[in-house]
This record gives sequence, structure tokens and C-alpha cells, in this order.
Amino acid sequence: MSEVPNELHFTAEHEWVAGTEDPNIYRIGITDFAQSALGDIVYIQLPKKGLQVSTGVICGEIESTKSVSEIYSPLTGEVVRVNESLEAAPERINSDSYGAGWIAEIKITGPLPELMSAEKYRQITA
Amino acid sequence: MAKDYATSDKFSVMKSPLYDWHRAVSAKMADFGGWEMPIEYPKGVNGFSGGTLSEHYAVRERVGIFDVSHLGKISVSGAGAKDFVNTMVTNDLAKIAAGSAQYNLFCNHDGGVIDDLIIYEFSEDKIFIIPNAANCEQVFLDLAGKAPSQIVVKNIHQDYAVFAIQGPDSRRVIAKLGLELDLGYMEFTKIALPSFPEFGEIIICRTGYTGEFGYELLPEWDSAEKLWQVLVNEISEFDGRVCGLGARDTLRTEMGYPLHGHELSLEISPVQASVNWAVVYEKDDFVGKRALEKEKQVGPKQISRALKCEDRGIPRAGMKVLNLEGEVIGQVTSGTFSPTLKVGIALALLKPEYKVSGKVQIDVRGRLSNATIVKAPFIPSRVR
Repeated sequence: MSEVPNELHFTAEHEWVAGTEDPNIYRIGITDFAQSALGDIVYIQLPKKGLQVSTGVICGEIESTKSVSEIYSPLTGEVVRVNESLEAAPERINSDSYGAGWIAEIKITGPLPELMSAEKYRQITA
Repeated sequence: MAKDYATSDKFSVMKSPLYDWHRAVSAKMADFGGWEMPIEYPKGVNGFSGGTLSEHYAVRERVGIFDVSHLGKISVSGAGAKDFVNTMVTNDLAKIAAGSAQYNLFCNHDGGVIDDLIIYEFSEDKIFIIPNAANCEQVFLDLAGKAPSQIVVKNIHQDYAVFAIQGPDSRRVIAKLGLELDLGYMEFTKIALPSFPEFGEIIICRTGYTGEFGYELLPEWDSAEKLWQVLVNEISEFDGRVCGLGARDTLRTEMGYPLHGHELSLEISPVQASVNWAVVYEKDDFVGKRALEKEKQVGPKQISRALKCEDRGIPRAGMKVLNLEGEVIGQVTSGTFSPTLKVGIALALLKPEYKVSGKVQIDVRGRLSNATIVKAPFIPSRVR
């Protein structure tokens, strides 16, 4: 069973969204289910800092030993921080997808899109 | 993220005798030539610390065991079996004797490769063949269709399981089974285990597909799970890993070994692939000989080369290869991240004028990755 923390929100593309101290800034990453399905992650192309993104657009790539997957922005806004440590240590996404494996922080412009609760996400990945 | 996940429930047909074991330990499963087989084992579930990288490193540094029971098995027996099989394959079985195995290509008359296979000689009248899972039926039908009446060809795909024990500690694992084997590379024996006579006789060959010292074991289908459990227990002493076909692919790609359907196919002849060494043109007639001789004389239109990336791109099968002027000169047939070298590596079919140490570019989803043509293998072989 994959881990699904109660305090996070989720997308159907297996990304998570967490609030930060700044009410307009949200941290994003991929879920434990996603990292497990991908297998050993060996490369990440991070979104660029300053990039304007909107919900559902491709903003990066994650590559494992066996395949590549795109990162879809779960939010609309501006990328204000990226987890550059992943470039040298992408395996952090495998070992700690909700912590040290976070991918980016986005400052939202406009309302939050509709996201899944932990309970709902558990149902679709059960 | 939703797209590329390997799922296990579609198209599944054939199952290894270890299928239930793989499922019980939560291996990630996928279809291989019509067989549902393990890709990799989990990290941190049921005491496993698997995953393709961990499994790969275990084989390079210590030992790993693989279930490759999907591989085909064909027996050819009767007076003159060896001579008959020798007319159907490109290498020369006259170079081996009873108790040895040999790598071979099984071609059609146009020189296209129906399959690549390992041929075991038990005697001049008894030959055992290991083709790829997906091609076993075709190889069987071709052999059965051409065999003279005194020779019996049988498709015995489910008579034996196949386990590979690979890595520098594999010799010690074999010793722990109570066996003192002094087999040279590609030599085999058929022997019962002193501690487990009830498993019956097991074919053990000094071969593999990883580039490391190792063995392939063929127990009878019905003894397979019990033998597997013994091996799983024994490798723990060496910090070994149970390995899936994901690691098998990264290991063989680092060695530049061809995989049928990628580096060899009906359209990719041995002259183009890196296996021309397994074609003995001096041999009396064999299927495909004239076409291959002609292609060798004229020169192949493309040649398989090994490419090593110089930046962070990871090549994948089907990607285009370009020269520095931006012209397409070929395409990737297999590509992966090399866990040993920690860069992308590829096998690619290129126009013949592009040679070792030349610089090329690979189109990785619209980004050009710089690569150098190198001599395979990417890392030194340690099979002997």
C-alpha cells in the first residue's frame, strides 16, 4: 500500500499539493504511488523558476530506469522555487516523495482548482 | 503522471512456475513475449530492498538471481540431430562437443533473424535449444517442418524453468548447493543436488546475459519453486538480490548484447548487428547463408553501434540519431540509463560510415543530446 498523507491534496495525475506559510504559495510533488510505479528515478527536468504555468500544462519530466513521465502543473500561477537538490539526487523522490522529494513551489494567481482529498486519492489508487 | 505505468492485468497468458511467488512478494509484473514476468521487486516490502538499480548493482558487485522461465525450450533428438540443427543455424556446432553450449542465430533464407538462441549439445543425437519466449513456437515449427523422419523435434517450453545466477559471488552460491563444478564458459552438466535429490536432475550451464560470471539453471518445472526458495535463502548470505527483467535489460545493454526485436529481427540481419562473429561463412550450407554472404560482400546499409551520452539525456528505442550537421543517420534500438556509468547509453543502427569515436546527437523528445560512438561493451565483460 502506498502512503497518502491526510493533510495533502491530490490530482488524478498523481501529484500532491501542500499549503505553505504563505497562503498564496503551494508546494507540489509526485505521490508515493507515482514514484513506486515509476521505479528508480534517475533524472528530472525541473520546471524553470519564474515560469508561468496553468493547471494541466506540462512543466517538467521525470525519468526512471525504464520510462519517462511528464510533470503536469496542478495549479495556475508562477513557479517561485524549485528543489534544485533533485538534479544531483533524483532518488530523493523515491525515498521521500512528500518531503525531501518535493519538486516546486507555485504562487497561485486566482482560486485553487478542485483537488482530491487524501481519502478520494486512496480510493483511486487502491 | 498517469500514463506509463506497467500494468499486469492485460494480455496475460503464460505464467512461470514462480508466478504465485512473484505476486506474493509484490513484484511489479509485465508481459514479456506472452508471459507475465517480474520487472522488478519492491523496495521495503516483505524484507525486499529491490528496484532496478539495487538489483543491477547486486549483480555487478555480488550476486543476483533471475527467473527467466519464459525462455523457450526445444529438444531435437534422433540420429544426426546435431548435423541437422547445424544446417539451420549460422554458427558452427562442429566447434563444440557434448557438454558445451553455443550462441547461434536462426535465420530465414533472406538472412533475416527469426531468433537468436543458445544450443546445448548433450550428444550428436540429442540437442537442446533455448530460444526467446516469443519466438519459441516459430523456431519449433521451422525445425519440425524440416527435420528428417528419424529426428523428433519437441516444444517443451513448460518442461523446465530457467533461473540465472549472476555475479562474482555466483560461484559461492553454487558451492553452497553442495556442487563442485569446474565448468568453463558455456559448458554445462546435468546433475542432482546432493542435499536435495528430490528436486531431480538440473541442467546447469556457465552462461548468462549480464556480462558477469554466472550460471543458468534449468530445473524441472515441478521442482522449480522449491529450488528457487533454496536459492533465495542462500543468496541472503552474500547480500544478493532477487532480480527482475528490468535489471536484466540494463545489465545486457551495458554489455552491448543484442535483444531480439531490438538489435536483431527479420529486418535486421547479423551482418548489420553486432553478432557477425556468430556467423560461420566457411560452414557448408545453412539457411540464410547466400543472402548473408551477399550482404557482407556489398556491405550492410546500416550497422549496430554503441552510443554513450555526454550529457543528461537518456536515449530510448526509436529515437532518431543525427550527425553534427543535423541529418538523420539512424535510430536507437535500445537505450537506457547505465547504472554503472551513470549516463545514458544506447545501441543504435547507423549508416556504416559513422564509426567508433565519432560524435553524434540523439533526438531526446525534441532536445538534442550529445553522444560518442564507442566500442561495446560499455564496461568490461567478466563472464570468464
